[in-house]
Amino acid sequence: MAKITQSNFIKSNFIRASLLLFFSSFLALSAAQTEIRLSFDHFYDHAELTQALRNLEKAYPQFMTLKSIGRSFQGRDIWGVILNNPKTGPAENKPGYYIDGNIHGNEIQGTEVALYAIWWLLTNYGRNELATRLLDEKVFYIVPTVNPDSRDVYIHQVSDPNSPRSGLMPYDEDRDGLADEDGPDDLDGDGSITMMRKKVPLGTGTHRLHPDDSRILVRVKPGEKGDYLLLGEEGIDNDGDGQINEDGPGGYDLNRNFGFNWQPEYVQRGAGDFPFCFPETAALRDFILAHPNIAGAQSFHNYGGMILRGPGAKNMGEYLPADRQVYDFVGRNGEKILPGYRYIVVYKDMYTVYGGTIDFIYNVLGAFTFSNELDQDPLEAQRPRPTREEESPDIRAMLGQVGRLEEMEYHDLVLLGEHFTPWKPYKHPLFGEIEIGGIKKFGRRVPPTFKLAETCHRNAAFCFYHADQLPRLEISKAEIKKISSSLYQLDLSVVNSRVTPSMSAVAIQNKLHRPDEVRLEGKKVKVIAAGYLIDEFRGLTRPLKIIKNRLLIENGVPGFGRINLRLLIEAEGRIEVVYDSLKGGLKRKSLALD
Amino acid sequence: MRRCRLSVAIILLGGIIFFNGSILSNQTEKKNQPFPIRSLEEIVSFLRSLASQNEKLARVIKIGESYGQRDLIVLELAAKEAPSARPPEERPAILVTANLEGLHFLGTEASCRLAGKLVEGYGKDKVMTEILNRRTVYIAPLLNPDAYATWTGSFKWERTANSRPVDEDNDGQIDEDGPEDLNHDGFITQMRVKDPEGTYITDPREPRLLRLADPRKGEKGIYKIYTEGIDNDGDGAINEDPPGSIEINRNFPHDFEYFVKTCGPFPASEPETQALLKFLASRRHIALILNFSTENTILNLQQTGQARAGADRVRLPRMYASMLGLEPDQEYTLKEIVEALRSSGMAGGMEITEEMVASFLGLGAAVSIDRQDLPILEAIQKEYKEGLNKAGLDYPERRARPVQKGSFVAYGYYQYGVPIFSVDIWNVPEPKKAGEKETLTPDRLKSMTPEEFISLGEDRINAFLKAIGAPASFQAASLFEMVKSGKLTPARLAEMMEKMPPRPALSEEEHPETYLLTWSDTALGGQGFINWTPFKHPTLGEVEIGGFIPGLKLLPPAGLAEKAIDFHLNFYLDLMRRVAEIEIQEIKATALSEGVYEINVYLTNPGWFPTSTAQGRRAMTSWPIRVKLNLNRDQDLFSGQPVTLIPFINGSGEVKKVTWTIRAKKGSRLKVEAFSPKLGKVVRFIILP
Repeated sequence: MAKITQSNFIKSNFIRASLLLFFSSFLALSAAQTEIRLSFDHFYDHAELTQALRNLEKAYPQFMTLKSIGRSFQGRDIWGVILNNPKTGPAENKPGYYIDGNIHGNEIQGTEVALYAIWWLLTNYGRNELATRLLDEKVFYIVPTVNPDSRDVYIHQVSDPNSPRSGLMPYDEDRDGLADEDGPDDLDGDGSITMMRKKVPLGTGTHRLHPDDSRILVRVKPGEKGDYLLLGEEGIDNDGDGQINEDGPGGYDLNRNFGFNWQPEYVQRGAGDFPFCFPETAALRDFILAHPNIAGAQSFHNYGGMILRGPGAKNMGEYLPADRQVYDFVGRNGEKILPGYRYIVVYKDMYTVYGGTIDFIYNVLGAFTFSNELDQDPLEAQRPRPTREEESPDIRAMLGQVGRLEEMEYHDLVLLGEHFTPWKPYKHPLFGEIEIGGIKKFGRRVPPTFKLAETCHRNAAFCFYHADQLPRLEISKAEIKKISSSLYQLDLSVVNSRVTPSMSAVAIQNKLHRPDEVRLEGKKVKVIAAGYLIDEFRGLTRPLKIIKNRLLIENGVPGFGRINLRLLIEAEGRIEVVYDSLKGGLKRKSLALD
Repeated sequence: MRRCRLSVAIILLGGIIFFNGSILSNQTEKKNQPFPIRSLEEIVSFLRSLASQNEKLARVIKIGESYGQRDLIVLELAAKEAPSARPPEERPAILVTANLEGLHFLGTEASCRLAGKLVEGYGKDKVMTEILNRRTVYIAPLLNPDAYATWTGSFKWERTANSRPVDEDNDGQIDEDGPEDLNHDGFITQMRVKDPEGTYITDPREPRLLRLADPRKGEKGIYKIYTEGIDNDGDGAINEDPPGSIEINRNFPHDFEYFVKTCGPFPASEPETQALLKFLASRRHIALILNFSTENTILNLQQTGQARAGADRVRLPRMYASMLGLEPDQEYTLKEIVEALRSSGMAGGMEITEEMVASFLGLGAAVSIDRQDLPILEAIQKEYKEGLNKAGLDYPERRARPVQKGSFVAYGYYQYGVPIFSVDIWNVPEPKKAGEKETLTPDRLKSMTPEEFISLGEDRINAFLKAIGAPASFQAASLFEMVKSGKLTPARLAEMMEKMPPRPALSEEEHPETYLLTWSDTALGGQGFINWTPFKHPTLGEVEIGGFIPGLKLLPPAGLAEKAIDFHLNFYLDLMRRVAEIEIQEIKATALSEGVYEINVYLTNPGWFPTSTAQGRRAMTSWPIRVKLNLNRDQDLFSGQPVTLIPFINGSGEVKKVTWTIRAKKGSRLKVEAFSPKLGKVVRFIILP
């Protein structure tokens, strides 16, 4: 060991310090350039999602705020992400775009899409014109997973492609005084709930084996003899009441629990006892209502390849024509971004949904809301799917678990057998000798992991397109003309260069939120008269009511449109014209009167 | 006209002054003691002390908080230590709710008294003891404390909303323009202003009242009406955006009215609504709800939907129609469809009810009272009407408020699915009108003795005075005084009458609020109406302030309030006793052969109400009765379901039977249980013979 003299000590510390300084500055530089590398070739459980979100927030604190907007039934944080560039204005003064995913526990891929959208915007700010513009001009409110409890069950525990759809609050579905006492059971231990079938004497069965593939059961036609029974989902009669799997975990539908056009259980199955009676939906409600500047929204589901708009049910009537035009514009362009996806209407082209998210956001906030059903059946993607009216009973019959040959080929040759359990014998306590097998939980509705990134990118791109089509206002003209010593004429034009109006028709008609307003600010400014300029050649105006230097613009600025105002004001020095729109954002223009 | 009437008044008044000395002998003063309103603090402390002093009977549960963060409280009453008593959450329960509207003071008072009555009566009164031994009673006297609290502010104002700020005039500012008590009389009344655009005129028969001018009759409007206050935000409208504004009793999910600000942005948006709904959802054993509000749904069975009660004709989809042998283009009642199902044999022995058909056909939300529930409601209505009439508390049925869209009572019946009743307790009575034959004329008066005159009674004399156009402050009571003391005779009165000018045409319709004025004049000594008094308004100029006082229809004099509350508490207590129950009346085990038995279980409902309403079954919130046969290892079921569901049992001892055939050893034991959340559970054993 070298002797530590004073000069040595100082010298070595100096070297240490400068090395430290050098490395830390190097680290600082790289931190700014370090991309958070996220891969979209797998599904994120709640813990991994949480970590990814925290890493993103840590890397981009200037743009991203991560907050827990509530707790799920089992106590998991429901994450809300707010993306905004505060240097270009506070969030509440910008048009807001909302995204949520995974409200149905088994419909997991929406979370990856949301995560992808967050990641892409943050990592591309400053490098890509769209990312930069979106973060500068708009604010994003994103809830990647609404139902983290069921998400984790789906990923890590026993489940099937369709469940758990519900949340996990115990729910007495069979009304026997016990809740969740008889759910499905993974009898063969393959991690999925598959199907049970039983060979029976010829003539007593409802199905027969497909002649070319014994893994497929085909329903017998009238007159045909069957020798198989399809017994249903894997399980036993846990509570001895004569039924199997009639009361599994949960049993409600969070996407029927929203407060607009909510209907009770006997009209809408799964609706719950009353609107927002579940912690997850209550958390979403509070988050959405806290941000009334949300002008556009997306709620991800699976599956089928659709871009859905409401109304969810017929009884409240169709959306207003002016709003339908906005939906059509965005939806039809969306079909170009998502080939194979169809832009359709829920109640008309799909089925009736009471109390759904998209009706709530549209009718309570007045925001244009889509719901994408992510991913198509891979075989359907290759040929166009007939509409509901065109579908024959035969085709519909084939779409069930009783599969098709092509589906089996797809499972064998493309999915390499990963998501199908071959039928194997099992001794069932009630049914005796049966077979258990079928498509496993990741084998339908969620994309195979090799396709996940494409689902993410294309659907995020649709969101960016829609967000970019939110109102984009500009005070394009603010001209002053002196009339007399202190009286001026001010001509204002506010232009909207996007399809979404600054106030939707439903918001105007039903007074859902405060109207746009024009304010004049300045030390000695007073608005004497004001009106919409309806004939600039003749100088004719339609009067506007003035309330203490505020003008209420009750119909906002139309999509791809403008409003022209003419004011007579008394003022001195400088004035500031403010156009304040709840969903269109806040714009200012400063004018000197000399 | 007016001047002549004025001179008559002067003559009459002059006469009184001369003979009597004091003009205003207030006969009505003693009856006019106002009905005392408990403060919020008094209500809370009353409930808490009732619970702390009777721990074995009462418990306070906090179910939530109002928007203004006031506690929402429910009192749970159940005799926990009664012999063979079940825990409170396993007994059939009754929920008594009051004052969701905030200002129905009678309801809060009545429900507080009911709590006291039950607790005090336990162990002494047979009815109270039985109720608390076998049932649980939840009492919630005040579910809208924010609105209630506004009554003790610096002025009285009828506001039935909670305290959530709402931008009612949609101008970007919230709650910026509320009322002001400009004349400092402690009331928010009305202002009338003469205005070229005015549309109101005074009623010719009753000038204190205003009504819309009818241009078709050549009438020209004079006045504009405002509530008392100023234009705080300078937008030209007065009091258009007062503090707070969601009506809790319009915020419930059945037939909710969208896009109306006072109902809330969506159903169950308010913490008060949520608290009550959560409580109901967590207490599935609630079998009957008794409500106090300004609605009287016993008297008025009108519903919010378009259909009349019991109207339920539907068209069957083609496929089902042909299966049942019915026409696809024809409308059938649910009853007819059930008949067709039964006779087609398709039900296969399963009991089909109308609610099942409605559910299956996807008929959507029910909006009319189920035809099968009507008889119960009509029976109760009949009893109630008779009782009201006997007690002298009745009032014109057209004034009974029915359920409104989004109200709690509508939710209780259509979605929660239990029998639910609401009473207003008291309503301003109809002034008695003299019949044609009995109209007092001067001739009749001349021949009357003073005794005969007085025996006509105040009401008739008041009606007579009104008919002759006497000024409003001139009441029967004062006349009687004078006649009794001999200062005036009927004959003299007749002479005065003959000198009076003819009254205005009787063919004009009476102003609909006349009965309120009559009530104010006769029972409240005129205190119910603030006479129009000039006032200088900062922006409107010369106005007059006046009108009915807030709370006129809600606050009877104390004596009447006592009587009305008493009657309704007894009525509700009687309904509580009639709640449905389940009993296993008998289990018959018949040996068909060695070790083979037929088991017949007879179930009955000794209560008066059926075990569920038809609407409750349709809404699937009133569950069927589960009858379970518990077999041990050595017993086998041959026929029948291990768990059999009975949709419902009617009241008054109707019996339903469940049959099983089993194989079991002689002498072995069998356990039968019957359960439904709103009935509780019963268990019986039998030894096989």
